Amino acid sequence: MTVKIVTDTLSDITGDLTKDLDVVVVPLYVRFGEEIFRDRVEITTEEFYRRLVYESTLPSTTQPTPHDFSEVYNKLAKETDEILVITISSKLSGTYQSAMQAKKMFQGKAQINVVDSLSVAMGQGLIVISTVNAVRKGAGLEEATNFAQKAVSRSHLIAYFDTLKYLAKGGRIGKAQGLLGSMLSVKPILMVKDGEMSPLTRVRSLNGGFDYLFSVVANAGKLESLAVEHATTPGDADKLVERFSTIFPKENIIRSIISPVVGTHAGPNALAVSYLEAE
Amino acid sequence: MTERKTIAGQDLREMFSAAASWLEKSSSEIDALNVFPVPDGDTGTNMMLTMRSTMEEAFRAPDNSAAGVASAMAKGALMGARGNSGVILSQVWRGLAEGLAGKESFTTADFAKALEQASKTAYKGVSNPVEGTMLTVMKAAASAARDQVDSGNEDIISVLEAVVEAARDSVANTPLLLKVLREAGVVDAGGQGIYTLFEGALRYLRGEVELMRLRKPQIIVSEIPHTTPLPQAAVVDEVPYGYCTEFMLKGEKIDTEAIKKRLEHKGESLIVVGDESAVRIHIHTLDPGNIVHWATKLGTMHQVSIRNMDEQHQDFLEMQKERVPTADTAVITVVSGEGLNDIFASLGAAVVIPGGQTMNPSTKDILQAVESAPSDKIIILPNNKNIILTAEQVHSLTQKQVAVVPTTTIPQGVVALLAFDYEADFKTNTRIMENAISSVKSIEITRSIRSTKVNGLKIRRKQPIGLLDGELIVAGNSDLDVLNKLLDKMEMDKAEIITIYHGEDVEAAEAEQISAGITEKYPKVQVEVVRGGQPHYNYIISVE
Repeated sequence: MTVKIVTDTLSDITGDLTKDLDVVVVPLYVRFGEEIFRDRVEITTEEFYRRLVYESTLPSTTQPTPHDFSEVYNKLAKETDEILVITISSKLSGTYQSAMQAKKMFQGKAQINVVDSLSVAMGQGLIVISTVNAVRKGAGLEEATNFAQKAVSRSHLIAYFDTLKYLAKGGRIGKAQGLLGSMLSVKPILMVKDGEMSPLTRVRSLNGGFDYLFSVVANAGKLESLAVEHATTPGDADKLVERFSTIFPKENIIRSIISPVVGTHAGPNALAVSYLEAE
Repeated sequence: MTERKTIAGQDLREMFSAAASWLEKSSSEIDALNVFPVPDGDTGTNMMLTMRSTMEEAFRAPDNSAAGVASAMAKGALMGARGNSGVILSQVWRGLAEGLAGKESFTTADFAKALEQASKTAYKGVSNPVEGTMLTVMKAAASAARDQVDSGNEDIISVLEAVVEAARDSVANTPLLLKVLREAGVVDAGGQGIYTLFEGALRYLRGEVELMRLRKPQIIVSEIPHTTPLPQAAVVDEVPYGYCTEFMLKGEKIDTEAIKKRLEHKGESLIVVGDESAVRIHIHTLDPGNIVHWATKLGTMHQVSIRNMDEQHQDFLEMQKERVPTADTAVITVVSGEGLNDIFASLGAAVVIPGGQTMNPSTKDILQAVESAPSDKIIILPNNKNIILTAEQVHSLTQKQVAVVPTTTIPQGVVALLAFDYEADFKTNTRIMENAISSVKSIEITRSIRSTKVNGLKIRRKQPIGLLDGELIVAGNSDLDVLNKLLDKMEMDKAEIITIYHGEDVEAAEAEQISAGITEKYPKVQVEVVRGGQPHYNYIISVE
């Protein structure tokens, strides 16, 4: 029986990719005032970003409940006895805790392992994809768990932000706090480090951002996979992909959209680049 | 969501009990914010302990009416109040109890009135109230409740939502009101505590008990620019904070006003609260013995606590080291003009040394800045040709590792500082910052100090002249004329951003005109105008 892999919507694994990988994606919740939506189930990405830009109330986000995970575990337990959950960084969301709590409450006979990706968006997604491939090559639960844990340290995410306003409001700013309060208009570049947002540098323009993101990836050594994501600006992401195509096969660059939940913190115009170092 | 029009005693107790546990979860983070009135890092702990005593008493109270619970809370808070923030918090509960007196349950109107009383009582307890503290946050909370009630809102939950929202904004605004917060880059710790309590109560009423178990309160982050104190401010740290002295005084007919008068000049942060039979006294003093000795004559003393704040401050400094961003390299820069000083500080310069054209700092000035910077690895941005050599002398005079990135203009200093990489080591950063210099062109517009002939240009005294990367290449009739002539000589098709720093003698409106002129000529370029406040140069302009 093969290992079934579960992740959350913050992995930015959606649509056809979900089907191709045959993974279960548990949604987080997005709240605008009194309205609560399940991420990408009850609100589309486009609708979300439209409201983020035009509405005065900023949305807030909530992790899936332990119950949400329990339902998934119970359902999967009917088809397999090995479940591997890969969640968003436990330092950015309580999703990992919910997954763990549901594991404790689980009474079926399936074995469940939960891995903290210490990342988010495609930084998390690439770990999931790589682990799915390992399972397809025959890895059992323990082997796949070890594989995913090692992939965590191979995964990197850097992001260009148009503003830190949303990150600051959402309380997820972490060590990037030092970049707040600039009196010149600057665009912060952040990375995920030890599971938290951490400052890298600042640029003054989108083109400066392109240059910086490109130089980081170009100096990263041999890559297993590369992903480019946008929040509201697909054209900018296309330009980035074009630049990366000189150092990585263009057809293998994964394109996705930053999930509404992450978008709540990243804000419009953000771009994210994730890559997995080769083993 | 269903409307909730009244709250009875039982719920009052439960909501603040939930709020107390909520606060408890972030007490150590609130400790880390604590810089005022004394940076001793105990506000969160003090508020938490005060709330414990507050709620213990509330649960002991036999009376289940709102008035009964509130008055038990006030009693418990006074008995267990710890520290400055704890005593002020006890006055919040006392005011709330006064506002709810006689109520079996309360409505939004009662709640607004009680919060106003709570705010008033809290202000009254402090001998010299300071804005930008928990008092300000309490006042904002009360006023939000009042606005809601005046506009006819009868739903307790939505009134409390407005209270939480107002408290949050008020906390975020505290650095604007209180300079020490701005310099430390934090919001007020006590204000954060008040906000967290209201937020916890709201979450309880909304039925988010399960969620509260999984989550933690958020520390509010302010977007107000963080300013860095000049090196000489370090000397202030040498003044001892003395002892945080507090105790309960029990007796008969105790005169709180007389105690306040007597102690007013004996120390700082004096708070005297309570009634005729029990009074809590809190003061920061250099001579606690004297105060304790005097107080024994007025009644019996209880819960006497004398803590050495200098020791607490040392622990606090250790705690801060963990909070500050990871970079272990500090950047020091030389700048003149208040605006430029703030800009460099806001971009993360650890120390800004005043100086520039015609007022070059000495080696000693720079050395002092290097020694005061909170790192052993220092990068200096001189921002002036004549200061580079002076800065280069410093490395032989200090144990610290020092590198000079030879910036000769303000725009070069800005791009070098912006390029700072938080993940890179000292050597790499020095190289990255040096490389950044060539990405900017610097324009300086000033007046000639004498009639002269330079680079084939005939220049009259006081005539507007323009320098490109330090070289005088044009003279003109006006600042705008000089700028246009300079821009004509540059490759503007590659330019993306122009930043105009206008000098101390230039009105903002003039600078805006210059900006509009550039936008008209080069519509694709993004133009930003900021006040540099620098002497001598009407305009310093960067072209990137």
